[in-house]
Amino acid sequence: MRLVGIAVVIFIAAPLVIVVPMSFSDARSLQFPPPGYWLGYYQAYFTDVSWLRPTWNSIIIAAATTVLTMALVVPACFALVRHRFKGKSIADLMMLMPLAVPHIVIAVGYYSFLGDLRLVHTHLGVVLAHTCLSVPIAFLVLSANLKGFDRNLERAAQSLGASPVQTFLHVTLPILRPGLVISALFAFIQSFDETVVAIFISGRDAETLPRKMFDSIRQEADPVIAVISTLLFVAVLLAVIAPFAWRGIRSRFARTALPAPSPAGR
Amino acid sequence: MDQYLQLNGITKKYGDFTALAKVKLDIRKGEFVTFLGPSGSGKTTTLMIIAGFEKATAGDVLVEGRSLSGLAPHERNIGIVFQNYALFPHKTAVENVYFPLQMRGIKRTEGLGKAAEMLELVGLRGLGQRYPKELSGGQQQRVALARALVFEPSLLLLDEPLGALDKNLREQMQIEIKRIQRTLGVTTIFVTHDQSEAMSMSDRIVVFEKGEIQQAATPLEIYHRPRTRFVAGFIGESNLIPARITDAAGKAENPALGTCDFTPVETLSQGQDVTLLIRPEHIRLSRKPVEGRKNAAMQVETIVNYGDNALVIGRVGDLPMRVRVLGADVVIIQEGEECCISWLPEAVFVISR
Repeated sequence: MRLVGIAVVIFIAAPLVIVVPMSFSDARSLQFPPPGYWLGYYQAYFTDVSWLRPTWNSIIIAAATTVLTMALVVPACFALVRHRFKGKSIADLMMLMPLAVPHIVIAVGYYSFLGDLRLVHTHLGVVLAHTCLSVPIAFLVLSANLKGFDRNLERAAQSLGASPVQTFLHVTLPILRPGLVISALFAFIQSFDETVVAIFISGRDAETLPRKMFDSIRQEADPVIAVISTLLFVAVLLAVIAPFAWRGIRSRFARTALPAPSPAGR
Repeated sequence: MDQYLQLNGITKKYGDFTALAKVKLDIRKGEFVTFLGPSGSGKTTTLMIIAGFEKATAGDVLVEGRSLSGLAPHERNIGIVFQNYALFPHKTAVENVYFPLQMRGIKRTEGLGKAAEMLELVGLRGLGQRYPKELSGGQQQRVALARALVFEPSLLLLDEPLGALDKNLREQMQIEIKRIQRTLGVTTIFVTHDQSEAMSMSDRIVVFEKGEIQQAATPLEIYHRPRTRFVAGFIGESNLIPARITDAAGKAENPALGTCDFTPVETLSQGQDVTLLIRPEHIRLSRKPVEGRKNAAMQVETIVNYGDNALVIGRVGDLPMRVRVLGADVVIIQEGEECCISWLPEAVFVISR
């Protein structure tokens, strides 16, 4: 049983182990084990506009997608989790629809639909398409959070003198913050990762990083791909570790920041 | 009686279902009133209407003669302790207690000082910097109490606040809540379905059943003079015996017991169907009939021993009877035996409803 577990871990981790040394390789194409080591491909990545432009595109598109997604999902979550109304179950279903439809089908659909609107090959077109794909994921994460939210906390706040707006700002929002951050992060990653729709819609002007990587691997197996993969891996690792580190620092800080209790209180 | 809080014919309907029917009640300033009743009896609904979280279909809540109906919950200045405490998990204990002061525009240093004083009053000195999850159930309860009292509310509402605590802690908190309430003199409504909690803490108990107030009286009056069959059955242990009045001056008849003497309190008419209440601790157990008391022969079925006392369950004819005896007395009988039970006419209380 334990051996199976170890085998699974190795199988999952292997691509990471291979890709990191390959990024430092001096071979002309992707090759493992690397014949020698240098940082040339890192230099190549950070100086080559044909790589930096898609990276920048991806970041802009993912950020815009996240903002748009959250603007739609937060009110939708409150409405669908907290209220009962006619057609609620249909609305619930529609929110999750994009998860059920194959990406390639969605991509073809958007290609013709956005084509009519002259939005193909634009940033806006990719953002709109990605938002449709991010909404169900962000919705799932946030609505699970909201369902677990004890509404007595809001009632308590109101009984203690907080107006509805104050209640939202001082109680609802801070308690939901982890859920909001995670669902926004998922929306961002979804867009940053997305390849199929990007290949169809992004074109040359709004080319995203995954699309550029796909093109590049098809044509020349450029080791810069290994560099990007390594960088993304490090970024994800930091994103996972950061909240824990932040929480540790903050709780220590919050405690010392309070004024010392009065002598009478001791 | 000066009326501090008035519930004026409060009715609450959910579609066709009537949750509360014309509830009317006056509460004095500084009084500790308990709403007692089974779940679904309307006691929590009444509390939520007072707090402003539910809207009454009809009727009005008045504090010192002023109606609360036009006010949102945050404008009512009412402190509430919820069953699960509802402490803000992202704030420390002292910040939780500071919150109502913060909402009233009191500066942080001053407010935190006042919050720390309040925490001391509820016995949590030095624990202010902890987060709720780092506190025990009883301590969280105290924080919730401090938070509901720190802004000097005009009313304190407690919604089954002891439900989640174990028995020892619960008794300790009963005494504690009572002490704090007396210290501050705050008018308090306590909701519970636990009758012993109600008996030990209240100035007055209001018994709810099916959206109506069955009786509102002091604990002893509720116990000794229950107005309805429901109250008699719900509060304490009781033998409820159906009977018919044969003499309005103090005689009633039950097929199994025969004629029973009682001391009449209210006017009754001959032939009226009533219920006789005899508390198990007012019945004496003996081998032979006792002179000067009403005697009956009981077939003993079960003896439940609690150490210092015992509950003897048996039948007189087909009438089930319960007798509570001191632990030492129970050795004279055994399960399956027949023995004699007896009581004084004063022990019989007639319930006409």
